Amino acid sequence: MLHVENLTVAIGDTPILKGLDLDVGAGEVHAIMGPNGSGKSTFAHALAGRDGYEIGGTITLDGVDLLEMEPEARAAAGIFIGFQYPVEIPGVNNMYFLRTALNSVRRTRGEDEIGARDFLQVAQEAMDLVEMKKDFLYRSVNAGFSGGEKKRNEILQMAVMQPKLAVLDETDSGLDIDALRVVAAGVNALRGPDRSMIVITHYQRLLEYIKPDFVHVMVDGKIVESGDHTLALHLEDHGYAGFVNHDLDDAPLSGATA
Amino acid sequence: MSETMRGIEELTDASYEYGFSTDLDTDVAPPGLTEETVRLIASKKDEPEWLLEWRLKAFAAWQEMEEPDWAKLQIAPIDYQSISYWAAPRQKPVLDSMDDVDPEIRDMFDKLGIPLHEQKMLSNVAVDAIVDSVSVTTTFKATLAEAGVIFCSFSEAVQDHPELVREHLGSVVPIRDNFFAALNSAVFSDGSFCYIPKGVRCPMELSTYFRINSMNTGQFERTLIVAEDDAHVSYLEGCTAPQRDENQLHAAVVELVAKDRAEIKYSTVQNWYPGDENGVGGIYNFVTKRGRAHTDAKISWTQVETGSAITWKYPSVILQGDRSIGEFYSVALTSKHQQADTGTKMIHIGADTTSSIISKGISAAKGQNTYRGLVKMMRSAENARNYTQCDSLLLGKECGAHTVPYIEVKNPTAQVEHEASTSTVGEDQLYYCRQRGMNEEDAMAMIVNGFCREVFDELPMEFAVEAQRLLSVSLEGSVG
Amino acid sequence: MSVATLASRTAALEQVGSLSLPTKRDEAWRYAPHKALGRLTFGPATAPDVVPADVAGQIPEIDGPRLVIVNGVVDRGRSRLDSLPAGVELAGLVDSSGDLAGALERQHEGAEDAFSVINRAYGTDGALLRIDGRPTEAIHIIDVAVPGDGQNASASRVIIEMAAGSSATVIETRIGSGDTFGGSNVRTEISLSDEANLEHIILQDLPSTHIHLGRVDVVQAAGSTLRARLFNLGSDYGRVAYNVHLAGEGAHANLSGLYFGVGQQTLDQQINVVHSAMNCTSRQTYRGVLDDASTGVWNGGVDVRRGADGTDSEQSNDNLLLSRQAEVNTMPRLEILADEVSCQHGATVGQLDEEALYYMRSRGIPQDEASRLLINGFADQVMDDLESEAVRTWISERLGRNDG
Repeated sequence: MLHVENLTVAIGDTPILKGLDLDVGAGEVHAIMGPNGSGKSTFAHALAGRDGYEIGGTITLDGVDLLEMEPEARAAAGIFIGFQYPVEIPGVNNMYFLRTALNSVRRTRGEDEIGARDFLQVAQEAMDLVEMKKDFLYRSVNAGFSGGEKKRNEILQMAVMQPKLAVLDETDSGLDIDALRVVAAGVNALRGPDRSMIVITHYQRLLEYIKPDFVHVMVDGKIVESGDHTLALHLEDHGYAGFVNHDLDDAPLSGATA
Repeated sequence: MSETMRGIEELTDASYEYGFSTDLDTDVAPPGLTEETVRLIASKKDEPEWLLEWRLKAFAAWQEMEEPDWAKLQIAPIDYQSISYWAAPRQKPVLDSMDDVDPEIRDMFDKLGIPLHEQKMLSNVAVDAIVDSVSVTTTFKATLAEAGVIFCSFSEAVQDHPELVREHLGSVVPIRDNFFAALNSAVFSDGSFCYIPKGVRCPMELSTYFRINSMNTGQFERTLIVAEDDAHVSYLEGCTAPQRDENQLHAAVVELVAKDRAEIKYSTVQNWYPGDENGVGGIYNFVTKRGRAHTDAKISWTQVETGSAITWKYPSVILQGDRSIGEFYSVALTSKHQQADTGTKMIHIGADTTSSIISKGISAAKGQNTYRGLVKMMRSAENARNYTQCDSLLLGKECGAHTVPYIEVKNPTAQVEHEASTSTVGEDQLYYCRQRGMNEEDAMAMIVNGFCREVFDELPMEFAVEAQRLLSVSLEGSVG
Repeated sequence: MSVATLASRTAALEQVGSLSLPTKRDEAWRYAPHKALGRLTFGPATAPDVVPADVAGQIPEIDGPRLVIVNGVVDRGRSRLDSLPAGVELAGLVDSSGDLAGALERQHEGAEDAFSVINRAYGTDGALLRIDGRPTEAIHIIDVAVPGDGQNASASRVIIEMAAGSSATVIETRIGSGDTFGGSNVRTEISLSDEANLEHIILQDLPSTHIHLGRVDVVQAAGSTLRARLFNLGSDYGRVAYNVHLAGEGAHANLSGLYFGVGQQTLDQQINVVHSAMNCTSRQTYRGVLDDASTGVWNGGVDVRRGADGTDSEQSNDNLLLSRQAEVNTMPRLEILADEVSCQHGATVGQLDEEALYYMRSRGIPQDEASRLLINGFADQVMDDLESEAVRTWISERLGRNDG
């Protein structure tokens, strides 16, 4: 469903992704793990279409080229990013935000807009999924939310948007064990034959709750190793050191200038 | 960034929706301002001698006064002799029923979305419609009369309730208050008058729609609202004007009197023609608005200012009685070449008086937006409180946002807090919304509306919807 | 003196004849005592025959180099100009060698007014300080006003030039003598080259019969840092205006101050910071305590010019009113023509926290003592990270006098 080939991303003069290949089939859950600064988040935002990236290579979703599309068009095509740092929007309530988002996407797809009452039904189901109280809907988007509330709000939005491909960027960071359980349960409930997921994480912990079909290790802008969920366990025991050493070739160069 | 900037430029390049002019048969005085002009206006309106004398006093005062020094505003000199000080749609002077309203005027208000036929009206709002200088109709008069509420044009009030007008006219904004107040006092043509008797809660919202139609005419209305002890009223004011290449002058005066325990809520949605994207044309909106709050009274100003080439107004409250309350909620948007210099003055005289000020300024394109305000705690203002919050939002590289608060405190028990911030719509906010599927225009409008939320919440429901729509239109470039 | 300097001074002198003093309509002079300002008389700088005895005791005990100016004329006897640290050039303006035109003729962002023109005309002497190094001792410049029979006010200039990468602390003490009407008009011009770092402290403590008109113009190059502190305590009308121009990328200006008014004093601070380069930061943190029938004025502006993206500025002005006759006027202004800026300001006016007073009294602290502790606590926040122990001591003693 998602096909990524030789993807390169640079921000200014700094190359971040250096030739990334990935295929995600329908209904599959892929985990991408890697040390800080390896380019995991950049990959998520390259899928979403963030401004300011110099991009090379290909990204297609069900054969459709995503690279020429604006972020909102990609959202309509079914891409959803659970942000590592969800953005605060003061004065705009969650409910209104979500309904506008959902209807924008539906309009783009040529579907009917959803009315206020029907929407409330949809939102209610999503809220039950992430165990949130109703007043949550009437607070400003992420403004004044705790870290855990922000991440739950991302899953809530995913439940409402029903994307084809969900990319969860460090959704586990900053969560205590109860919040992690709730978030993971929400994600698992949304797994299905038509929905693929990419779970980006630094730690294996999340993968105990969300069992991936495939695990990839990303180091320095490339996927250096792929395997099944046992790869994550290996990483838990041995860390990333073994993979980082692949790049020792560069060490003398960087050392020489220091 | 550049892509977003381009987006904003397109967004803010909105065309003016109310730019039609109606071909009314109009009675216009020749341009120029002399004592004779003042006498002409008074005689056209068949005014009593005391009012003519009051006008002449104001005219004499105005001649001695200097035009204000424009601080942050850039303004071409105004030639006061090239303006016509009287323009009235030619029709029967007294209307017996709605059917007597000139059909063209009715059509014009229909275009504005303000039906004057009572049977068509869904909302519980009484409307006084003012075209150029003259009130053309007031709706729901009978219902209001039952409650004892007087809501009529200023001219009618002068004829029918001269004692009330004489007692309160100029009692809050004296003749010599400022250059434009003096000018207005000399030549004001019409406006609205509201009187809420003791203990009466006005049964519906009162509303005045102002429309400038004729060319080269100034509009000088006078509004006077008196709420007796324990009375309540909510008053709405809306403004539009056709597109013209010349600047037109609008210099109104609004006076509010809230007696003991009375409450007046005054809301404005101002959408005068702002001029085109090159800064040609547009209304000069120089308005003096002030209320006097007696013991335990409350005066609340809410304004949404999206129109006019230049806006210069400071709706103020004199907190005279103990425990009186003053509020000011404002959204001012400047785009194109618009300039706004607006804010409030809260003059605390009584003990335990409180005031709050929430100001939201939005600057786009080449717009310049200034908040200018005064909070003054007099020696007698024991335990007075003020809280002020001024937030500015900048949407572009060529606009400006300025904050100029004056705080003067002469009583040690008074407490004043002022906070201000300036920000831009974050790239990350736009991106987040777009990732959720919204296009850039919708996302921008949503974020800007969120920025204004605290002020919109103060508006009556119909106006809040109108205000949000106006803001979106001003930002979006899409009509309707 | 160079020809150019002479010419400009002559021009200034000619202007003096036709000057009109500021009025209430001038925003920057709105709360000034305009009548009293009109009674100040200036003329060519003349040292007094005798320097009164009360002057010496007012000078803070600070070791290191110092330059004393009395009535606009450098007093070499009271100055300590020998054995200057390496990289420090400190001399009277009239004694300075080399071409001073660049230093004397600098144009500044802030508008000139009648008193700055008078300063140009009569401020013929003063201090020239050039730093090209990182001296550890603070440099002390003392300006003394002794009202005379001929003229009651003096004018002097202080010029501080910091070379690239240099660092120094400069203290300017401004005092006066006697109980007759008079005052001083001191203009300080500071230029910070790339990466220069200056801590600049003004201690204003003229007698309550005097007027002090201080003005500081600063231009900062890339990466330079200014820490300006004002202790505005003396004079009947004590005024210090700062015009700081952040002209180079990444410059920082951190301005703070304390004004403490008693009696009939009016203490006036006029601050304007101009951001014209990218990624500069500025902070204005001022606190006022107003007792008796004193008046505090704080007019602080941040002016962000087109293109000054990445500006980060904060202003705060907090005031305590201790008496029924005291008053304060505060105007935190923002003028912003760039986007991508973060500007915040806040101002508060209030009295001592009743809850805190009650709390302390319930723990057995007498009311007066509790008030004093709260006032000191409020004022002390301006003195955070003030390194000079001598200055600290001087201020505490000086404020102790007020509290007593």
